[in-house]
Amino acid sequence: MSVIYAVAHQTVREALRRRIMWIFLIIGVFLIALGPVFGFLSPRDSLVILKSLGLAAILLAGLFTTIVTCIYLIPVEIDRRTIYTVLSKPVQRYQFVLGKFIGGFFTVFINIAAMGIVFLVMLYFQMGHHLAPDMVEGVVLTFFQLMLLAALSIFFSTFATPVVNFFLSFGIFMVGNLTSVTDTLTTSKSPIAALAGRIIYYLLPQFGNFNIMNSLIHPGQNITNMQVYIRNCIVYAIIYSSVLLAIAILIFDSREV
Amino acid sequence: MAQTQTGSFKTSKKKIPVEVQKRRPVYFAIIVVGLILAGIVQNVLAPARNKEQDEGHEMRALGGLNNEFLLLPLLGFRQAAAGLLWVRCDEFFDSGDYDAILPLVRVITYLDPHDTNVYITGAWHMSYNFTDSQERSDRRYIYPSQALLEEGIKNNEYTPDVKFEKGWECFDKIKNFSLAQEGFEEAIATKPLKGTDYYPYGAPLKTYHILAHTYEKEGRIPEAIAEWRQALAISSYFLKKNGGTEEKDFSDYTMQQAEKHNLGENIWRYQDRYLTKPHTPVNTSNYPGVLWPFGGAGKPAPWDVHLTAHIQVIRPKVLKFTGTFNSADGARVDVLIEDWDYKPHIDKNSTTAFAVDPHQTILMDSISVRKDTFDREMDMSKDPKMYNFSHDYYRIVVSFDPRTTAPFVQDRFGWNGEGLTDGQPGHVSIDPTEATFGTKFMNGFGGVGPVWDGKTAPWNQFGQPDHRVMVTFKVSLQQMLGEKPITNANIVPNKIMPLGPDMER
Repeated sequence: MSVIYAVAHQTVREALRRRIMWIFLIIGVFLIALGPVFGFLSPRDSLVILKSLGLAAILLAGLFTTIVTCIYLIPVEIDRRTIYTVLSKPVQRYQFVLGKFIGGFFTVFINIAAMGIVFLVMLYFQMGHHLAPDMVEGVVLTFFQLMLLAALSIFFSTFATPVVNFFLSFGIFMVGNLTSVTDTLTTSKSPIAALAGRIIYYLLPQFGNFNIMNSLIHPGQNITNMQVYIRNCIVYAIIYSSVLLAIAILIFDSREV
Repeated sequence: MAQTQTGSFKTSKKKIPVEVQKRRPVYFAIIVVGLILAGIVQNVLAPARNKEQDEGHEMRALGGLNNEFLLLPLLGFRQAAAGLLWVRCDEFFDSGDYDAILPLVRVITYLDPHDTNVYITGAWHMSYNFTDSQERSDRRYIYPSQALLEEGIKNNEYTPDVKFEKGWECFDKIKNFSLAQEGFEEAIATKPLKGTDYYPYGAPLKTYHILAHTYEKEGRIPEAIAEWRQALAISSYFLKKNGGTEEKDFSDYTMQQAEKHNLGENIWRYQDRYLTKPHTPVNTSNYPGVLWPFGGAGKPAPWDVHLTAHIQVIRPKVLKFTGTFNSADGARVDVLIEDWDYKPHIDKNSTTAFAVDPHQTILMDSISVRKDTFDREMDMSKDPKMYNFSHDYYRIVVSFDPRTTAPFVQDRFGWNGEGLTDGQPGHVSIDPTEATFGTKFMNGFGGVGPVWDGKTAPWNQFGQPDHRVMVTFKVSLQQMLGEKPITNANIVPNKIMPLGPDMER
């Protein structure tokens, strides 16, 4: 564990040294801070926009932070040849991959936590000194959604170049966001469409599961049991991330570097 | 390079270390078991999401979106994108760029089908804001406006807001009170939602008020009375809950005062108009108001409104309406000008769904009656986009509907026009649509079924049709353009034209 921790620790330090990380964070906070500008709308509208825009800003900034951080974590070590130094120590490849993932994941956590706190504080003042605990659920699920994305990017980074990885991760994130569309496809009358729907639905990570904005911003659009739903989403993220990391380790183990 | 790595290698081509090879089955097991578990969790998650997500709404939404709007929803930012576009709409409202708002409303409702305010504002915008140079609404927008509200209701069953708006538009704009009643009843039937101001009821108190007014407009007074009593019970509940005094709950207190007043007024009006006693100072005679509408005449007799209408084409597409309507001051006669074969334009499932047919013409207005006469010029020449006149024949209807008239005029004619007649028997038209029937308060006047006993409320037996007075002209395009005069020879038998967009014409 200490080996994984050492790799993760180093990864976080290195990630935080990169200016692009801070730029995304500043953009995210700026977007969240823009929310109160919509106060000229009717009270209901302005709160709906404030919440949806805040959650979207966190997701957008977190999305780019995750992809940009994770696509470089392994290729950069190979390009700079520092990987030889690391692997010449008593570091197993799986420990290296897990350390990189945990480091990247913790970097994303710092980012989301910072934006989440700004968002909740702003909501507290905008809602007349009332807390918005339901928004915490939104932030938590965004975080686990990005954890899954981080695992996906790490997986691609074991065999793809950063540019290819960027488009692959981004593309699968988009397809995975269409959960309800692929869900509908699975029951299509066309057998080909139904098969394609099933493949996408069960094999690709379903990022759309984590989008609960409807339930958070519109009264009455409640998910059957929110607490159970969130717990299941977290379990899904952990299981799917484990699968992706296992494949990543398999590939990285077989790879000549 | 491989030699620098930890562990020994087999002499295979891939040079995979032995311990790595030993771990491989574990990884494969994690992958297979993990994918199966992920599939199981996914199956648990899917039905837990709200039903709206499962009905392919997103599929339709994406199909209806232009390319430039696709990226944000694909990234999961549907609601945020919708919010930003709604802000843009607000700017267009401020700048008066009304045409730009409609495509945005379409896209926003695709992106976020649960923002009820967009449906409500969008529908209101279509029904009220597109006007000609004389401030008359473009009636072609009524159908898309109602269709938008129907869509909003379908997507937001849990809230009474859009249902209320549908009812209000039918009440205030379309004047189809049976459709309005449907909308308000639907709003009241909404499942109560904890956290709303009006919990444990499904809709705010104002909905009960406007439903009672709607019943009155329909000539269904027993139902109106029952509704006012229901509203009184609700306001009493909230008043008690919030402290019970005017100071502590001014809103519910004033609502309750209005309920008491309106309930009493309904009962008085019924007594004045249909009973021999007890009467208020409005009707000092010993006769029901509808039997003795002259107030001063020697014996009861129906009131001959003597509707006459003359249309003169002053310039192409400029019509001057003159005529008589003997109802004393304060009444208004309605005017409808439309293509003879006018049908609402339908264009569903596209971003141009709210586009109206540029080749259709429809105008609705009303003219006030002063000293038993009316006189008004209607200029359609300045608004060719609204009044295209591309059809060969047009229907012009000059009419009076007792249900939409002011209460003091209704005091003579009754809610259903029982007290009016016209020297020209063909002018009095009875609406045969059962959904529009009012309560039968007296025998005669074309009503069927039992007369209300004056006590039971709701009565739920409707048999009294609305009596409208109408003159209908069939006019050619040449006449509209002033090439030929419009004369009495153009008068044709009347036909009640339902005003609701979902009623077949």
